[in-house]
Amino acid sequence: MTEQTRTLVSPCGELEENLVLFHYGDLDGAERGMLQTHLQSCTACAGYLKELDTLLPLTLKADEPPATFWTDYNRELRQKLDRAAEKKSWRQTLGDLFQPRWMPALATAGVVALALTFTVGRGIWPANDSQDDAAIMELLPVAENLEFFKAMDVLDNLDLLESMGNQSNAA
Amino acid sequence: MNPGDEELVASARKGDRRAFEELVERHQRRAYHIAFDFARDREEAKDLSQEAFLKAFTHLKNFDGRSSFYTWFYRILVNLCLDYKRRQKRGPASAFDETVESQMEPSHEPVKPRSPDQQVWARQISHRVGEALEALPARQRTAFVLKNHQGLSIKEIAALMDTAEGTVKVHLHRAVVTLRERLAEFA
Repeated sequence: MTEQTRTLVSPCGELEENLVLFHYGDLDGAERGMLQTHLQSCTACAGYLKELDTLLPLTLKADEPPATFWTDYNRELRQKLDRAAEKKSWRQTLGDLFQPRWMPALATAGVVALALTFTVGRGIWPANDSQDDAAIMELLPVAENLEFFKAMDVLDNLDLLESMGNQSNAA
Repeated sequence: MNPGDEELVASARKGDRRAFEELVERHQRRAYHIAFDFARDREEAKDLSQEAFLKAFTHLKNFDGRSSFYTWFYRILVNLCLDYKRRQKRGPASAFDETVESQMEPSHEPVKPRSPDQQVWARQISHRVGEALEALPARQRTAFVLKNHQGLSIKEIAALMDTAEGTVKVHLHRAVVTLRERLAEFA
């Protein structure tokens, strides 16, 4: 594409922002009146405004999708809304269950359940203490044997040292 | 007489799905066009605008009515569009898509058969405009698009962008200055 250089009009610096607003019809009251008066005598600002009138509409786009696009759009959105509504209802159910007004009742029920577990439950469930003791007793002989085997290891090491000593003496 | 947005919102909050669909029908074209101004792609614009409606639907209970539904909804949409642009910037840099631009026509041109030269010229303008808009910082682009393309007032834009009117004016001014420089050859 061929680049064309073109000298742009330089408006009065302090009025440039107001000129943009004026172009869009967003300048009101006194400021508008003052600018209109200024424009009658300032060719630079008038030229700048003319440039905006030419350039800015170029940036507008007319993208109007075909009718089928909107049919698909609505169908898809409806499906997405259905899925969202489904999720929402689940969340609502859970939300209803854990609503603040139910919380004291749920907390009380929890405390009562715990209290029952530690009072009534203690008599019902068999105690495991005696079983634990028996298991420890079974392990004790094994531990004693371990001490025996450790001692045997020491004896083996002594034998080894002794034989090594004999060899060095013979040499 | 047709019910206003606020009446429809009240019904939708009570679970009236038809009321929400009526709101969608009212706002879908403008929502799509705003999204398109950011994405410049039909599918992306469709997804963004649909996502805005979905968010509005799921968070309708949080809508407190302090602002209008219009402001609340378009703020959701603009935020989604800004997020989209941020994600796009973080992602791999993509060349400006000429195929997308070729779908669009500058609106001032009449829709009638044109000579090949005219078509080339229109395509050049469209391409340069696309590039120039793409290069604008996100908030400048938002202010510009909402003003220039959608014709919203400075006050409305400030509400949508959750900022002061003075800030919007500054963004708009800077955007116009940049675009004017970049599109000087067409002046």
